[in-house]
Amino acid sequence: MKTVIPKSKEAFLSLLQADLKTQWRNRRSVLMSLLVPLIILISWKGLIPVFGGAFVFSISLTIGLASIGLMGYAISVARDRDKGIFQRLRVTPMPSSFIMVSRLAVQLGMIALLTIAVFVIGYEVDKISLTPLGYILTFITAFLGGALYLGFGQMIVGLIKNSETVNSGTRLVYIAFIMLGMFGELSKNIQFKTIVHWSPFGTVKTILAAAMQPSSWNNNATFALLATIGYALIFSFFGIKWFRWNSAGA
Amino acid sequence: MQNETGLSILQVEGLNVFYETFQAVKEVTFNVKSGEIFGLLGPNGAGKTSTLSAVEGLLKPHSGEINVAGFNIREQPMHAKANMGVQLQSTSFQPELTITEIIKLYAGIYGVSLNNERLKAILQDIKLEESASKRFGQLSGGQQQRVSLVISTIHDPVLVMLDEPTTGLDPQSRRQLWERIEAIREKGHGVLLTTHSMEEAEAVCDRIAIIDHGKIIAINTPEALIDLHRNDPNVISASRKGKVTLEDVFIGLTGKTVRS
Repeated sequence: MKTVIPKSKEAFLSLLQADLKTQWRNRRSVLMSLLVPLIILISWKGLIPVFGGAFVFSISLTIGLASIGLMGYAISVARDRDKGIFQRLRVTPMPSSFIMVSRLAVQLGMIALLTIAVFVIGYEVDKISLTPLGYILTFITAFLGGALYLGFGQMIVGLIKNSETVNSGTRLVYIAFIMLGMFGELSKNIQFKTIVHWSPFGTVKTILAAAMQPSSWNNNATFALLATIGYALIFSFFGIKWFRWNSAGA
Repeated sequence: MQNETGLSILQVEGLNVFYETFQAVKEVTFNVKSGEIFGLLGPNGAGKTSTLSAVEGLLKPHSGEINVAGFNIREQPMHAKANMGVQLQSTSFQPELTITEIIKLYAGIYGVSLNNERLKAILQDIKLEESASKRFGQLSGGQQQRVSLVISTIHDPVLVMLDEPTTGLDPQSRRQLWERIEAIREKGHGVLLTTHSMEEAEAVCDRIAIIDHGKIIAINTPEALIDLHRNDPNVISASRKGKVTLEDVFIGLTGKTVRS
């Protein structure tokens, strides 16, 4: 009897289609990922003349990216691992890496959606517009920042096996990020400001703000870019190393 | 597809599985032939699921050889997996997807072309044509098991592995599932199933292996197992109604102590 190995492309596209449908059916979580950054964008309109459009834009986008990586990606991976969905997929003749690549592709789509939503609302409500190069660079840095938070989410599901703990843990980290984002930069304490500046939140915010105004890109932005890439690599390395496909740990 | 019966389609030889220092499976050797239902029985924690997980490629054994349709699971995992259909212990599909979408997803993964007529026929076969647009999470346990079984056979594999397929089902659903499993055998496929139900093992299995503390302690047809052990003092002491059953043999061989 001849053994038929399914085509990788066909298998991957079927999986991606299913993941997109799953994401669409979880519209509430998609909406939450978009809502918080957009609320910040709208409610902080009054701060734009003081701190500049890039400041508000970058905070709003950074919080949205954290939401996608932590609330979207990590929680859904933990839940599906707990339900045995990954194990069911892993017994099929398809590389296990497809499962994660498909999930990440959906999240990259979410990052693109978030970035466009922030651009549109920022223009419509706050009258913030960028140069064409600014838009392109912001898109690229948003994906880089997104990679950091997806890696962070991956590290959380690698470290924590229980889906309930992942759920509450990521919410806690997310709230901490929102607090850092909203009040960290406004603090008078220099030490605290430095920690926030070089934290995973601060570096993403810095590169986004610099990308929006390409002419203002400086050494600080370059170091923040390197730190962002470093964080993303470290988080992803440990996230993959510690990850187990089932919650029992086998 | 009709397969030639009697050919060995799964060979497990000298399988050892460890969880850190704990050895869950010890030198397990057995084979499953086409056109047979092979039952793997054992108390909780005996090593049934670990054995199955190793065959499915979900965990890496410490040593031993596993061949599915002639393909080694370690050397040619994709070929081996393409020849097996799996139903895991807990039904595990995305609860947001409808039955139709789940069937299409797995058909795509296995490279099975599925037109609307074929899809309709599948849904009719599992008596779920009216629930086609229902989400998996909205189905009853019996319906979920039917979907799970049809997906495990969607690519017409030579080997079907079912991990405690009738757990939690009512008698009607259980009987219906037995008929479906027997239909798989009639097509010449081999079936490897694990179960806690001696009634199930006696009713559907052609051969049985009893596994305890990671080792296979008996392997034979249900009738032969009863005949061979009917005079065993432990089996006689386990017998409750004077007539020795497979359950008496099982308890006689594995002990009366409840496993956690």
